[in-house]
Amino acid sequence: MWMRRHDFESLFEPMHFFRTRLGHVLDEFDRVYTHGTPWQAAGNYPKTNMVDTGETLEIVAELPGLQKEDLAIKIQGNYLAISGKSSNTVPEGYSIQRSERGEKSFSRSFTLPYEVNSEKATASLKDGLLKLTLPKSEAAKPRQITIN
Amino acid sequence: MSTGKDVATTTQHEVAKPSQSLTVVTPAVDILENDHEILVHAEMPGVLKDDIVIHIDNGKLFVSGERKLVSTGTSAWQEFGDVEFRRTFAIPQTIDVEKVQAHLKDGVLELHLSKSETAKPRQIEIQAN
Repeated sequence: MWMRRHDFESLFEPMHFFRTRLGHVLDEFDRVYTHGTPWQAAGNYPKTNMVDTGETLEIVAELPGLQKEDLAIKIQGNYLAISGKSSNTVPEGYSIQRSERGEKSFSRSFTLPYEVNSEKATASLKDGLLKLTLPKSEAAKPRQITIN
Repeated sequence: MSTGKDVATTTQHEVAKPSQSLTVVTPAVDILENDHEILVHAEMPGVLKDDIVIHIDNGKLFVSGERKLVSTGTSAWQEFGDVEFRRTFAIPQTIDVEKVQAHLKDGVLELHLSKSETAKPRQIEIQAN
């Protein structure tokens, strides 16, 4: 009888261990992989947000460490393409102890919900965020309609 | 296995969470080293200088940066939001804590951890008798 009880307990020991660890593991998982997952579909870098302000479409992309020379932005009608390469060079005389940022070469394209006026589009790069302001083309702008 | 214990156990990770609602993410870092210093590059896109907290305590370097995005208009899609970039590093005792420097450039936080004089490599010459 004693033997059976002992066996029973030892069976649950790993489970107990597992249960207490699982929370930590999941937590770590969330922390690490909300930022950028190595297995994520290639089309999801850089991460972007888009906001419609009525007159314009504003697109913000996360591009830490990039210079404006590293980026190319193309607009055609309602098609937008952002491509570039992070020039993440190691300063001279330094040895690499850990490298997580890597050198990324990317290209991401979007189909915008409206045609935009590419002539008046502006872009700025600040604090690692690329911000595009794309004015909607005349046809796509909201229009006030007066009731007769 | 005692069942009584299980019921009372508080899961540690829940206690450790801060009261703020910001999602915590781990910034990607590069760590470089030369004879004089250790250089840490941490990616924190969209974080402003004033929202970064760095402290060194008991051999641990703690870095936290909060991103507060401002946007007006209706969101069509959103892939990133307000987050807290947080990471803790164990630093060797050879680092001169007084001389740590930090710069923020293009969304990348640069930490210069200079090594103390005694830890720098030294060439020893053999003296001729």
